[in-house]
This record gives sequence, C-alpha cells and structure tokens, in this order.
Amino acid sequence: MNIIEIKNLKKDYALGKTTVHAIRGIDLAIEKGTLMSIIGPSGSGKTTLLNVIGCIDNATEGSVTVGGSEITKLRDRQITDIRLHKIGFIFQTFNLIPVLSALENVEFPLLLIKKHSRLEVRKRAEKLMDEVGLLSLLKNKPAELSGGQRQRVAIARALVTNPDIVLADEPTANLDSVTGSQILDLMKEMNRIEQTTFIFSTHDHNVLKYAREVVKIKDGLIDNN
Amino acid sequence: MGLILKIAWRNIQRHRGKSLIIGAILFLGALIMTIGNGVISGMDKGLAANIVHSFTGDIVLVSDKQESDNVFLEFMGKAVEPINNFKAIKPILEQQDYVERVLPVGKNLAMVLNEDGGTPGNAFLIGTDFKRYNTMFPGRIEAIEGRMPKPGEKGALVPTGARDEFYDFTNIWFMPEGDTLHPDHLTAAAKKDRTALSMKTSVVLMGFNNDNTTTDIRLPIRGVVRYKALNKILGRFVLVDIESYRNCLGYFAAAEKTSAVSAADSALFSSNDENLDNMFSEKGLVVDNRQSGQKRPARQSGAVPTPASEVSSGSIDVDDGTYNLVLVLLKPGESLDKRTAELNKALADKKLDVRAITWKKAMGMIGSMASLIKAALFVFVMLLFFVAIIIIVNTLSMAALERTAEIGMMRAVGARKGFISTMFLGETAMLSAVFGGAGIAAGTIVIKIFQALHFTTTNDIVQLLYGGDTFCPLITGGDLVLALVQLTLVTLIAVIYPVQVARSITPLDAISRE
Repeated sequence: MNIIEIKNLKKDYALGKTTVHAIRGIDLAIEKGTLMSIIGPSGSGKTTLLNVIGCIDNATEGSVTVGGSEITKLRDRQITDIRLHKIGFIFQTFNLIPVLSALENVEFPLLLIKKHSRLEVRKRAEKLMDEVGLLSLLKNKPAELSGGQRQRVAIARALVTNPDIVLADEPTANLDSVTGSQILDLMKEMNRIEQTTFIFSTHDHNVLKYAREVVKIKDGLIDNN
Repeated sequence: MGLILKIAWRNIQRHRGKSLIIGAILFLGALIMTIGNGVISGMDKGLAANIVHSFTGDIVLVSDKQESDNVFLEFMGKAVEPINNFKAIKPILEQQDYVERVLPVGKNLAMVLNEDGGTPGNAFLIGTDFKRYNTMFPGRIEAIEGRMPKPGEKGALVPTGARDEFYDFTNIWFMPEGDTLHPDHLTAAAKKDRTALSMKTSVVLMGFNNDNTTTDIRLPIRGVVRYKALNKILGRFVLVDIESYRNCLGYFAAAEKTSAVSAADSALFSSNDENLDNMFSEKGLVVDNRQSGQKRPARQSGAVPTPASEVSSGSIDVDDGTYNLVLVLLKPGESLDKRTAELNKALADKKLDVRAITWKKAMGMIGSMASLIKAALFVFVMLLFFVAIIIIVNTLSMAALERTAEIGMMRAVGARKGFISTMFLGETAMLSAVFGGAGIAAGTIVIKIFQALHFTTTNDIVQLLYGGDTFCPLITGGDLVLALVQLTLVTLIAVIYPVQVARSITPLDAISRE
C-alpha cells in the first residue's frame, strides 16, 4: 500500500528574472512502513522534494497524495492539519522550541492536537524520550543539549503523534560521524518499533546502508541509473 | 491555552530587553493616564462641589421661554427670561423627596454707572434674599470688608473679583458703607492711583428693561465678599437684595403687590375723566404705578432712579415678585441626570412654563470644563499611546522576524496560524497586564499620596485647576475601567501588525533562513 504517490511533480523557483527548475517531473510511489533515503548532490532537488511531500512547499505542477489526501489542492488550514496528524519532521538545524524543555518539546505536537489528557500526553512523551535514550534529560532546555541530543529529541517529537510519515532532511549533516550513526541507528530502530515510514535525505553515501530503499535524484529528476 | 501562556511567558523572560522596553512604555502610559484621569476626576468633583454648593445648586429651573441654557455665563447674550410663578413652582419642588433645598434668584446684567463721569462698568447681578442665600449655601462666602447684610436689609455684596473689574472700568474703588480703606486689598492699578483714589460706598446700577428703558437704583455696599473657592469665576456676580434687583430690572417687586392704595389713587382709577393731565399732575410715573397695586408685566419700564433706602422693607412675601432662576439642591447621592428628568416631567405635568437643566448646562463652559479637559487629556494620552504603539509594533515585529526559525518550526509541526496569533497576543497581553497594571497601581498610589498631602491654594487660576481650594485628585471606578479599556486597545492595536508578520512566516521561510 502506497502512503505517498507523486505524479509528474514539478517545482520552479523564481530567482530574480530567472526561473530555477528545482524538480522537473518526478513520479514516485512510497510504500507504508519503508525506510527510504533520498540521495543526491547539493542542489539536486532532494530537499525540495521532501518539502513538497511534507506540505511545507507547494508544487508548481503535478499531484502529490499523502495518506490518501491530494495535498496540492488543500488550503493552509488543511495542510497544517496534515502536517500535525500525518507527518513528523526532523530538520537539519532548526529543531526545537528554545523556551520549552526537551520533554515539553516532545509534548508540543500532542498538545496541539488537543485530543489527549495531560497525563496521556506526558506518558507518551516520556516513553518516546526513553526510546531515544534521553530519559535523564527531560527537563533540559535545548540550549543545554548537544547537537545529537537535540536531534534525538526531534526524532521523539516527530514520532509522538504516531504519524504516517517521518521526514528528515539531512538529519546528520551537522553531526559528527559517530553521533550521526547513532541517529540513523535510532531512526532505523524506531522504524522497526513504530512501523512508521521514514524518508530521509542525504548527500552522504556512507549512510545508505541504513535505508531499505534508495532514491537517487539528479538535476530535479530521479536518476534511474 | 496553558501551553500558549507558558510559551508566551517564557518568551518574555527570554527576550528581557525587548520586554522591558515595551513594558516601560506601557507602564509610563498607564501611570500618566491614571494620574491624569485622577486629577481631572478630582477637578470634576471639586468643581461640582464648589459650584453646586456655592452658587448654582444641582439643578436650575429656567423659564420655558429661555433660549440658551447657559444662563450664568453667557456674557453677551440675551437677558435671562423672568419666572413670575415661583409660588406655583415651590410646592411642586417641595413634593420631590430628592430635593434638599431651593433658592429662587434673579440674575441679569446691569450697568455700573460712573458718578465721576468716566467709563461705566457692567455687573452680573444675583438678586436674592440674603438670609435664604445663606441657608442655601451656608458659609460659602465671607465678608473680607464690611459685613453680611442683616435680614431684610437692602444693599449689595460686591465680590472682590467684581470690585477689581469695576475699578478697571470706572476707576472707582468700591468699599462697604462705614468701613475704612484696606490698602492691602487694592489692586496694583489702584495702588498707583492711591493718592487720588475715588472711593464710593454705594453703587448706582442701571438696569435694562424689556422696552428699551432703564431704571437706576443706588444701593449701599454692605460688604466686600470672597467665595471660599472659585472666587475667580463666582466673584463676578454682585449679590443684591431681591427687591432692589427687581426695581433695577423693572420686574415686579413683591412690595408692589402688598402696597396700600390711597383713597385718592383709588378714585383716580375709577375716574372716567379723559383729561390725562389729572393723572400725571403730581407724582412720578413709577411711584404711581407701584402704588396702584396693578401687576405690570415682567421687565416693564420703571424709569425713575430709586434709592434703595426708599424701597419698602416692611413685611412682604418676596416670592410674590419676579425671579429669573430657581436653584435646586439635591439630597446627597442623588443622580443628577435622573432627577433632572424627573423634575422636568413633574414641572411639565403641571404646565408651569419652566424647565429644569443641570448646573453644568447652566454654567456653560465652566460646567463642561472638566469634561473638556478630560477629553484633552484623553487625546494627549492617546497620542502618547500612539507613539507607544509605534514603538511596540516595531519591537514586536522585529521580535517576530528574529523568531522566524522558531515560528516556522512550530508551523511545520502543525501549529495553525491562530496558535501563532494567540501566542503573540498572549505575550503582549501579559506585558500589558503586568506593566500596565503596575502603571495603574503606581498612578493610584501617587493619587493617594497627593490626597494625603492636602495641597491648598488661594490662587484663583490654580483653584480652577484644582476644582476648589484643595488639590484632591480622585480615582474612580470609571477611571480604572477607562484605563483598562485604553490598555486593552493599545495592546490589541500594537499586536495587529506583528501578528500579521508572525502569521505570514512559513516553515519554508524558516528553512530558507537557515
């Protein structure tokens, strides 16, 4: 069963008087529960592809269906709700709300949903903090955590709502190799435990071993070679 | 909401510098506004108390024919219309349980004739029964020269303000009969003329009648008086006994109704003799008319100067004559507007041809001065807040842009625009509540301190600003509500643009910025 279906996706950016064709026509189907890596050199369009899948950016042309919803036709409020309920994000650098503790950051999306009791939210967040190995740092603010610890918190937050998909844009780019490996191990483990679809982008070929599926992008198109 | 407030509060703490700038502006604005409102409220109350309890009462009855409500201070306006039926009005007023005291008075303009041949002056006359006046406004005027008139005594009480003004016009220094000159009371101009100072102990008033004739009367000055508060305004009015006033203005005097008519004059009325010379052969026209016992229309001509001492001071009912105004003092705590409306209804029901107006209307500009100053202060405070709003908008907008990554991330993980709006509103509302609230509290404390210090003044202009002789600012519930409304408005207006800026931040903006 496909959790994501992309048909003839094109994305253009206006750069002054020039139009940049970031994605030139991608067709892609991603199965539920997979751990996929999107690789490609810088500027190949992988971040743009993740942004469109994650309802962060709009498609110029084509259709994108996420969890059964054709997202290119939705309004801002509906798009936001899809991000809240169906998608988890792990960003490269900007990660956490600085004024909230690690635990509160994980609780944040659940509190936005407003369906769970305060106790349920707390239990779910603590469980995930335990799974990412940060049970001892629940009350620490982001500024008091290392880069790797912040990414762990971001992973826990991305998973806390039980989303269909977790998108991670170069999650190890700013981490040292050891910490980066730990993060990818963790994502793999969480993919196994939570049965969540993980899609991460990277330009580091060394991380390919963590993915079950790899999509290579070059110049805004899928490189079938 | 708990989450939003938590984030808002922590953001305030995180961005202490900006929070303090915004907070300081809100604090100062609220402080100035509270003190200003307190001063104006105190002035409002002081003016009300000093004018109502010294001069006008709460409600003033005027004739239905009276065009302008500004009956006391319309300097160049028409004469105040007469009220000839006070005896019918009086029982109606007595039936109203909210009425404390009543005083009918005459009020109009007269010319102060210059017996030295120079320029004449003008005087606003208040014709009254002195004993009643003292009962209505006990202890509100004090004689600084001479004395207060004895019951039934004819004469004038000249306030210091009026005397100074008379001197400016006539170069005559008026002083009470039987008193000596008080050099320390002389104006600067009078002191200069000290050696050749023209002093008079009586005043000749020329009243204008409604048929373009005039009546002159000479009145002895019994005392020079000073109002205990607001002497600058109230001291323009010369108090004269009601019968002299009526004679001067050509109104019916009460004595006219009770004068004895001689048999000869009686015969004259019944005469069918067409020879008019018989009618005008011996006595002056006015005297004849007054002895006739016939009622003449109000403000009819009576064109012979009449010394006050010649006016009968026998046992008469002064309410038989003409008045211009009826001053009504309400019982403490009564609602002015409500009671004015009720009184108007009662008067209309009886078809008494008079209407009730509030003292504020009767005093024209002075009555509405507190409201005007309050409005001016409100505009000033709003200007202050406008500047504050600009600074707050700028600071918050910068803060929103600086937090693009944070806001973009919140949006990325599912926060709606409404959440971002509420978060910003929450931050500004907290600042308003904390700093604005502190400003209001500090303003209230400052007002309490002023109240305790009990500043007093004898300066007329300062008294006007104080609303009396004591500076007694007052903070009312209404002022506090107004302050809160203004703060809320400022908060809402100041947050609109920053919220728009924050709402427009997308997750993509955050990524692009990174």
